Amino acid sequence: MGNENRIVNGLLKLHIALCLLFIFAPIAGSFVFSLNSDRFPSLPLGEFSTEWYRLIWEDPLVWQGFANTVVVGLTVAVIATLLGFGGAYTDFRYNFTGKSFYLALAMLPPTIPVVIMGLAMLAFLSRVNLSGTTISVIIAHGVMCSPFAMAIIRLRLSQMDPDLEAASWNMGGNQWQTLRYVIIPFAKPAIFAALFITMAVSFDEFAVAWFVSGLNETLPVKILGFLQGQVSPRINAIGSLAFLSSMTLIILAQLLLRSPEDKKS
Amino acid sequence: MTKRPTLFSLILSMPLLIWQLTFFLFPLLFLVAISFWTVRNFQMQPDINFGNWERVLTRGVFWDAYFRTMVLATAAAAITSIIAFPASYAISFKMSEKAKRWMIFILIIPFFTSYLVRVYSLQVFLSDAGIVNAVFGYVGLGPFPMLNNAFGVIVGMITLTLPLVILLQTFSLNFVNRDLIEAAHNLRCGRLRTVFAVIVPSAKVGLVVAALFAFILSFGDFVSPLYLGGGNPPTLSIMITDFTKSGQQWPRAAVVAIMMIVTLLTVAFAAITYAYKERGK
Amino acid sequence: MKVNAEMEQQSEAIVKFDNVVKRFGNFTAVEKADFEIGRGEFLAIMGSSGCGKTTTLRMLAGLEDPTEGAIYLDGEKVNGKATWDRDTPMVWQSLALFPFLTVQENVEFALKMRGVGKEERRQRAEKWLEKMQITEFANRNINQLSGGQKQRVALARALVTEPKILLLDEPLSALDAHLKVRMQAVLSNLQKDLGITFVYVTHSMSEAFSMADRVVIMSRGQIEQIGTPEEIYREPYNRFVAEFLGSANIFDSVITGPSGSDGWKVDFEGGETSLSKDELPNAVQGQAVTFIVSAENMQLSAPDSGQPGILASVAGEEFIGGTAMVFLETETGHELKVQKSHDELSLLNLHAGSKVIVHWAPESCHILPGENL
Repeated sequence: MGNENRIVNGLLKLHIALCLLFIFAPIAGSFVFSLNSDRFPSLPLGEFSTEWYRLIWEDPLVWQGFANTVVVGLTVAVIATLLGFGGAYTDFRYNFTGKSFYLALAMLPPTIPVVIMGLAMLAFLSRVNLSGTTISVIIAHGVMCSPFAMAIIRLRLSQMDPDLEAASWNMGGNQWQTLRYVIIPFAKPAIFAALFITMAVSFDEFAVAWFVSGLNETLPVKILGFLQGQVSPRINAIGSLAFLSSMTLIILAQLLLRSPEDKKS
Repeated sequence: MTKRPTLFSLILSMPLLIWQLTFFLFPLLFLVAISFWTVRNFQMQPDINFGNWERVLTRGVFWDAYFRTMVLATAAAAITSIIAFPASYAISFKMSEKAKRWMIFILIIPFFTSYLVRVYSLQVFLSDAGIVNAVFGYVGLGPFPMLNNAFGVIVGMITLTLPLVILLQTFSLNFVNRDLIEAAHNLRCGRLRTVFAVIVPSAKVGLVVAALFAFILSFGDFVSPLYLGGGNPPTLSIMITDFTKSGQQWPRAAVVAIMMIVTLLTVAFAAITYAYKERGK
Repeated sequence: MKVNAEMEQQSEAIVKFDNVVKRFGNFTAVEKADFEIGRGEFLAIMGSSGCGKTTTLRMLAGLEDPTEGAIYLDGEKVNGKATWDRDTPMVWQSLALFPFLTVQENVEFALKMRGVGKEERRQRAEKWLEKMQITEFANRNINQLSGGQKQRVALARALVTEPKILLLDEPLSALDAHLKVRMQAVLSNLQKDLGITFVYVTHSMSEAFSMADRVVIMSRGQIEQIGTPEEIYREPYNRFVAEFLGSANIFDSVITGPSGSDGWKVDFEGGETSLSKDELPNAVQGQAVTFIVSAENMQLSAPDSGQPGILASVAGEEFIGGTAMVFLETETGHELKVQKSHDELSLLNLHAGSKVIVHWAPESCHILPGENL
């Protein structure tokens, strides 16, 4: 390893550590602050306290927001995964004129700034009298989450031996049977991963939801409300809980995507 | 087999198309339409009126906000790219496959934390009596004002974009042919020179795309400017939220939004063209 | 009479390609394929990659539709008939076993698609697992099997519906040489036992020639020759086939005059030989003619032996089992190859650059009909 330089490598490692510190300090800080008695935490830190958790536990508005978040998240996950699966399979299997338009339409939503998405959604949904309903949040999140589902499932399909599908047709399986008995079983880990990840994305999305949700606020929109009002470490408590639930979903998704071919023994 | 679409293919492909046409493309087009509408008594009325455009585009406030947003987003994209590169380089070239996978996983985590919560947490870190100034205080420095100014905004934007930029840069560096680097060393190109003469040009597309994403995210971000920058003077995104949430001036918000989209498309097109431009004729 | 003959033909042939053309855009993958496959026949379709052999097989399976012409399967025209409505199971080059199913479930798959009940499925699958000697792996995951075992699963899976025809697309290409030979024997015996038609696509001459009743040689979408391995080997139709087989010397020559009552005299590099008139009855003096002499029919003599023939020098040597292929170069730069036993070669004491006289018996010459029309 004559081309390696220990000082350079050490500095690079230090740099990575600093980047990670920068990225994760606010996240870790939020945890610490959520368990701290101070309203404005600083050094030295105040006492350990579960006060903020107690406050959110007792706040019916937080519970309502949580319920909305879960309903929206579950529905969005199912819708986005169904839409994403169809899109991923279409891209995998078919070539047609206008395919690039199809793919652009399917994949572009995450690149549009959320304020613009929010405004467009609000203007459109209020025109069709859906603004302010939970459905409007589901619609908006469906648009924003289906690209993630599609990307995850498409990636899995690209790992599939293309002969597998043809083999199924060749053995008498029509397109539907092949979908049911070959494509879906093969893509199953990715389908579950897509469900969890889209749910996690929906859990944390606040901007578009804030625009369109009206009174049916999801939890992140509630946080935005707290942030606009008086400063309250309750945000940290809610954030920490939301983070834990998102992480659970992500880790589940990761485990699914990592697992080698289904072991049957 | 047959070129004619089958029922099967339509059932699989159409739902996504219809959903995105109805709930994504159509609302964006609708946004263009309402930019020509008028507002009377807090009610929008269909119209073909250039008043909103005129009112927004002739105001100094808008152009101040426009250039402020441009400068902030460009600075954030540049700073993030520069900070990210050594990290991406180290991940891509110095780490084992297993460590790489772990780093990628760790860098994905922030996407699933609430940006709002992170920004709130940053407020605590950066305020005059906050954690960072307390640390400076121990060594007899400060306090430095880090909140409600451009510094705070940029820190927030870097928080938002750094993980994504490192990931995108790492992916593009992973595609750099390892033989090229050994060839360069073999031709007596030094380590640092190899980075700039071989690795950066080879991974140019990915590096530009990463910076572009940082720009797009920062350009549209309203949370950092609002809660770390104080919101005044406003950026374009803050203008949109103000117009929408307080004034019911949706048509004007639409004008700002369209200006943002046009800007983003122009920047994206320029960046992609630059990224794919080949040397020589 | 004619109707009768056609009926007869239909019952004889299980597959008929009637001037089948397949184009992908501007690219012609298969050009005017016109041949039949008999019941119980082992037919190999051979050619290098991109020659159209796999496309031909896929059209038969219904995975591609012909652009022109018709394909008859068991007397029925099957153009446009979906692959899942045919009973033309295929063994894939990649094997295409379902990784998310067990061995048993893989074998049952085709029956499940046809709506066969659970118990019957199990029984029929077990029968084939047993036949292929993989019963012990029934509940294993596909990834836990060796290459040869996977091959047997793929065969059992394809045969479980007891089809009249089995399509095989380079099924042995992933196996090592030793296993390949063993699987060839398995396939040959299986085909004889079952008495069904095998259509076997391969790029390997040894696979095709050792197993097939008849071989179709394709190149660039065209069928170059159809015949038994013996016929093709002895009498290649044209230059392509002769070159593809690799062991023949090809001579472009000119008829210089009659040779006796039943032959033509031809000239080659100062050497002279004669060709049978039977193969070229209408030739005239001065006509160009292309003929071959296979490498093992070439004779070598020491340069001082006085034997009439072509003088050549040794360019190299390659071992092929018990024999060696000697590569020679004539004074005008024409390359010749001669296959001889090691014993015979050692008598001549050859080394690179040494001179030798090459000659052959007139009866070992074969005219390429495709080049002399």
